[in-house]
Amino acid sequence: MTHTLLVTGAGGVGKTTVAAAVAVTAARSGIRTLVVTVDPARRLASALGLDELGSEPQPHRDEPLLWAAMLDSGATWRAVATRHADPGVADRLASNEFFQAAAEHFPASQSYAAADQAATFALAGAWDLVVIDTPPAGGGIDFFTAPAQMADLVGGRLLRWITGGPLPGRRFFYNRAARPMLRVADTILGSDLLERIAEFLLDLRTTYDGVARRGREIEGVLRGSHIVVVTTSDPAPVAEAVRFYRELPGVASTPEAVVFNRVLPDEWVDPPITEGISAQLARCAHLWGMETLRQQDTRAEFSARHGATVATIPWSPDPPNDLDGLAALLDRSSGFPWGRFGMEQTK
Amino acid sequence: MLDRRLVMVSGKGGVGKSALSAGLAILAQRTGRRVLAVDMVSQGGLSSHFGTGQLTFQPREIKPGLHAMRVVRAEALLEYLSLQLRLPGVGRFGAVARAFDALATAAPAVREIITIGKILWEVREERWDLVVVDGPPTGQLGSYLRAPVSIEELVPTGRIGTQAEWMRATLADPKTTSLVVATLPEELPSTETLETLAWLEREQVAPDPVVVANRVLPDLGRLESDDPILGAMADLHRSLWAEQQHWLERVSPSVRIPFLFGLFTPGEVAAQMSDELEAAL
Repeated sequence: MTHTLLVTGAGGVGKTTVAAAVAVTAARSGIRTLVVTVDPARRLASALGLDELGSEPQPHRDEPLLWAAMLDSGATWRAVATRHADPGVADRLASNEFFQAAAEHFPASQSYAAADQAATFALAGAWDLVVIDTPPAGGGIDFFTAPAQMADLVGGRLLRWITGGPLPGRRFFYNRAARPMLRVADTILGSDLLERIAEFLLDLRTTYDGVARRGREIEGVLRGSHIVVVTTSDPAPVAEAVRFYRELPGVASTPEAVVFNRVLPDEWVDPPITEGISAQLARCAHLWGMETLRQQDTRAEFSARHGATVATIPWSPDPPNDLDGLAALLDRSSGFPWGRFGMEQTK
Repeated sequence: MLDRRLVMVSGKGGVGKSALSAGLAILAQRTGRRVLAVDMVSQGGLSSHFGTGQLTFQPREIKPGLHAMRVVRAEALLEYLSLQLRLPGVGRFGAVARAFDALATAAPAVREIITIGKILWEVREERWDLVVVDGPPTGQLGSYLRAPVSIEELVPTGRIGTQAEWMRATLADPKTTSLVVATLPEELPSTETLETLAWLEREQVAPDPVVVANRVLPDLGRLESDDPILGAMADLHRSLWAEQQHWLERVSPSVRIPFLFGLFTPGEVAAQMSDELEAAL
C-alpha cells in the first residue's frame, strides 16, 4: 500500500527542505520513496538529483530507493486538455490565449496540477511512500479544494447557463436568458472579447465529465493522505498553520503533526550571563534567550489550542545541501510521527 | 513615502509584509493623516495586526482617523457595475455579477483590474489622505501592476479600456504612488526581490520601489565565549548576521527594520513596527 504524505505550510518555512528530508530518511530506512517538490532552491534540487527539470519521477543516482519529481503546472494543464477533450479541441485549447491565461491566473491551477500529480503517483503503486511538497497558492489550502474548483470552472452551472447547453458546431450562440447580462458585459468589455472567451469556455466545457470524474479520484487520494503542517515560530506562518488545523479536517483530514522548523535549544531560555562577559555577548545572550522563550510559548500555545502533536527540527547554521545533510536534519528532530506513514522506527 | 496618496506594499510571503503595512498605516494615522488600510488579496494578516477580526469590504474605523477594509472581488464588481450602469438596486445585478466573474476567470487581467480598480477608486476619492495597501505577494505583483496595460491591449474599445488608461497613469505616477518591496536579508526572499526589481525596471508600470529589509540583526562585533551555551548563541548570531550582510549588500535596501526580539502578539509587532518606521523614514 502506498502512503501519501502531504507537507503543507506557509511559504519560506522550509517546507520543501522538510519534505526532502523526510523522503531521504524514508528511502534510507528501506522504503521506496518518491518526493515531489515545487520550485526547490538550486542546491536542494541538485541534492535530489533534479538538475534536469522534469515532471517525470527520476531515480536518484546515489540513493537506490529514492525518486524525485518536480511540479510543472503548465504541462499538467495541457495534460488536462489532452486527457479530457477530443484531439481537435485539445489542440485548439492548448494554443488558446485564454487557456494559457487561465492556467496562469486561475489561482488554484498550480494547486490542481500538484494534486493531480500527487494522485497519479499515489495510485501508480510504484512507491511505498509519496511525499508531496504542496504549493503555497491560496495559503496552501487551494491544494485541497482545487479539484472541486476546477470542476466548477469548466462546468459550473453558470457557464452552462451562459452558453445554453451543448451546441453543435463552432459558432457561439448566446443563451436567450443570458442576453441582458451579455449586453451589460458587452458595454464594459467590448463584444469581441466576450465572444472569444465564450468560444474558449465552450471548448473547455467539453472536458467537464472527465475533469469531474478525475476530481473525485483526486479528492479520494487527498482524504486518505497523511498531512503534516510545517511552520517556523514566526507569527505569520504560525497563523497559516492555525488555519490549516481549522480548515483541513473539513476538506481532507486532521493533520498528524505540526512541525516547528528552526527551533532554538530549550537551555537557551536561561543563558549563563555572568559578571565577566562582554556587554555585546550579554546582549546576544539576552536577545536569543528572549527569542527562545517566545518560540516555546508559541509551541505550547499551538499544542494547547489545537490538540496538535508538536514536532521540532532544531535550527542549523547551514541549510542542508546534500543527502547526508537532509538526513541529519531529521536525526536531530523530535516528535515526528514516523509510524503513521509506514516507518516503524521512531526517531 | 507617507506624503503620497497610495503606498502599496509587496514582498515574498512571510517577510512581514502585513506587519509593515500595518506599521505604515499606524504611523500615518499618528501623524494626523486620514488613512485607509487595505487588505488587497484577503490574506488576513492585516486584520491580525490590527486585532480587529475579519475585515469587511465596507471600510471600518479601527482608530480615530484610521479605517481598514479588505477587497472582496465579488463586492467590488457589484459596486463597479452599479456605478457604471447608474442604476439603483444592486441586488438585481447579482446574477450578472456572478456570470461576469465566471467570464473574468478566463480573461487575462480582468480579475486583477477589478481589484486594483477598487483601490485606485479609493485613492481618487478625497476621503483619504493616504491609502496603505497590504498588497499581493511579489509572485502576483506583476499581473496586478500590469493589469491596466493588459486591458488596454485586450479591449481598447470597451468602457473598461478607457478606464484602464487613468489607472495606468495613476499607478505609474511617482507623485501619487509609492511601491514598497519588503524583504528579508536571506537567500530566497532576496533572490525573489532582485527578480522583482528587474521586472519593475523593465516594465516601468510603477515608480521606482522603496526596498525595505525586515528583521535586520544588530552588529554585535566579534562575540566569543568558552561557555557551550553562550558560544552556541554567539555562533548563531554571527552566522545569521554574516549571511544577512551578504544579502543586504546585494539588495541594498533603502530602509532597514531591526529584528524585533521578544514580541509575542501581532498587535505588539505592528505598534513596534510603526516606531521603527518613524525612526527610519
